[in-house]
Amino acid sequence: MENIVELKQVVKEYPLGKLTVRALSDINLTIEKGEFTVIAGPSGSGKTTLLNMVGCVDTPSSGSVTVRGQRIEQLGDRARTQLRLAELGFIFQTFNLIPDLTAAQNVEFPLLLQGTLTKKERQRRVAELFELVDLTPQIKQRPNELSGGQRQRVAIARALVTQPGIVLADEPTANLDSVTGLNIIDLMKDLNQKRQTTFIFSTHDQRVMQHAQRVIQIVDGCLSEGAPAS
Amino acid sequence: MRTYLIIALRNLLQARRRSLLLTSALALVTALLILLLSVSAGFNQTLIRNTTALMSGHVNVGGFFKNKVTDAWPMINDVAKIRKIVEENTPGLDFIIDRDRAWAKVISERQSMFVSPSGIDIQDESQLPEVIRLAKQSEYLEGGSDQVLGNLANLAKPRQALIFVAQAKRLGVDVGDYLTITASTGAGRTNTVDVTVAAIAKDFGFMSNWNLFLPKADIHDLYQTTDDASSVVMIYLKDPDQAEKVMGHLRGVFEKEGYILMDHQPAPFFFKFETVAGEDWTGQKLDLTIWSDEISFMSWISQALDVISFSLIGILMIIIAIGIMNSMWISVRERTREIGTVRAIGMTRFRVLKMFMTEALLLGFVATCLGTLLGTLSALGIDAAQWQIPSEAVRAILMSDVLHMPVSAAQMIHVIWIFTLITGLSALWPAFRASRLQPVTAIHHAG
Ligand SMILES: Nc1ncnc2c1ncn2[C@@H]1O[C@H](COP(=O)(O)OP(=O)(O)O)[C@@H](O)[C@H]1O
Ligand SMILES: [Mg+2]
Repeated sequence: MENIVELKQVVKEYPLGKLTVRALSDINLTIEKGEFTVIAGPSGSGKTTLLNMVGCVDTPSSGSVTVRGQRIEQLGDRARTQLRLAELGFIFQTFNLIPDLTAAQNVEFPLLLQGTLTKKERQRRVAELFELVDLTPQIKQRPNELSGGQRQRVAIARALVTQPGIVLADEPTANLDSVTGLNIIDLMKDLNQKRQTTFIFSTHDQRVMQHAQRVIQIVDGCLSEGAPAS
Repeated sequence: MRTYLIIALRNLLQARRRSLLLTSALALVTALLILLLSVSAGFNQTLIRNTTALMSGHVNVGGFFKNKVTDAWPMINDVAKIRKIVEENTPGLDFIIDRDRAWAKVISERQSMFVSPSGIDIQDESQLPEVIRLAKQSEYLEGGSDQVLGNLANLAKPRQALIFVAQAKRLGVDVGDYLTITASTGAGRTNTVDVTVAAIAKDFGFMSNWNLFLPKADIHDLYQTTDDASSVVMIYLKDPDQAEKVMGHLRGVFEKEGYILMDHQPAPFFFKFETVAGEDWTGQKLDLTIWSDEISFMSWISQALDVISFSLIGILMIIIAIGIMNSMWISVRERTREIGTVRAIGMTRFRVLKMFMTEALLLGFVATCLGTLLGTLSALGIDAAQWQIPSEAVRAILMSDVLHMPVSAAQMIHVIWIFTLITGLSALWPAFRASRLQPVTAIHHAG
């Protein structure tokens, strides 16, 4: 299997006044194509920081991050933006839909940025994804007319619409009630199996972890693989 | 991209109070600028109309004649020949007339004043009767009747004068009263003619203060010249904007014909007496001018109007630019997370910049269009209403009783694009900062 993500001796430090906070220390991690991986750890352990590295929105203080064969710390902003647009899908804890656009327009947005599909093709792709996330009746609604679970489904559709190799989800269930949260995880798992999309998501919820194929524990910026200690 | 427009429009609508405030402020300033430009354009139109009716052609061929070195007679000999040269060599000619010009003192029983009388052949004058409006007696005489007493046609007879309301008031005369006109004929001698007031016309602001019309014969008597002499051939063009070019062309033509030309000096002829009298030559010299030369001493008015307009608009525009910049900053701050999101999804910095610029330009464009519409409608409304200017001083300066406010399409388009551009420029810095936001900090941003 192809190594889609590879982190080697990654360190991330944040300056905090005169001190530096070490959010990630000496991370080594390999993720293969098609994996359904959860990064589990308590709040402040470095989950978001780690996902930001993989998501090419941040660069490590030292070490190397390779995504789809590209060393991201060596890329400029433009190239990283291009990589995100082509290879990555993002699902956020707070959904982060654009409030001014309808659900359909939100999902269409990354396709417009790519600018490769015709209007007809885009519309077909969008409709297909709404069907996939089971939200076709809400396609014309605005984010503020949707429930939290529905919004996150729209966000999932948006993350998947460009058919990225990797979908990153930073605590996608944190703002949802537990039933809805588990539904979302099921949906992601389903999509992972149907489409062979690599999913990497973080959580601090024990129940959510149980649905993962691979669990990576993170505590104080250090990784340990295996089942969560309960 | 339509999506930019949608996002921009929705953002503007969402920050409705702020957008509305900015739009109306920008629209009002735009409307004000349109109005001020319109007043200025109206003034310039009035200026050229009055000037070319009262005292100048679009291009003039005048001159001075000197028997002795110390003379300065505002005269050209053999005017028929000069007219012929002009007729044959003027591109875009509409029509020509010739007039006698003088610098003289008018004396009534009560008062005296200096004026520049023009000697006219009323039958030859096609434009003058159209622009001259005779005044009612009550306009120059307290307790006068509402009747118009004089008649322009009387100027066909000798020893008649057409004067203006302000002069009638100052001199204290009515139609039918006598005036004495005296002119210096050099070397300390003066000549005199007595004339009857044939008609009294409404003023053309203060421009008519020093104008007065007599039959040609009276000026000839005053200067004791022959009938084949005149003072100025006034040339009217189909396109007045060509005046300067035509003057240059005619200078070449007259030089080739063997005439001696005075150097071009942008001043009315009555400012040139002393210079000419001080120069060391005798005989005939021609002096070519264009209409704006003859009123060069009034160009300060249009300059002042422009300075006032532009400083006022400049100040208001700076305030608005600050407002737009500020509003954009708020918008960028409010939408930090949104910017982070679209950056993470894969929007480039340049596109973020474009997104914010679209928002600003949209606001700017809509606001300036509205303002231009408002300004234009107001200007046209005021123009159509023939609104009487209440202040005598303003009437005198603008040379018109009513506010004349034309608006040209070119003016409207200029205002719209310049103001939209200014809006864009004021948004550039906040938009640039927005585009430099890191996707990661944007995602972390609370809110
Ligand atoms: N931008 C930042 N500046 C300073 N410290 C940060 C920043 N982002 C995260 N941190 C710190 O790094 C550590 C890991 O944070 P984070 O990755 O957000 O953890 P998690 O997502 O697991 O809650 C925390 O101690 C946090 O305070
Ligand atoms: Mg986090």
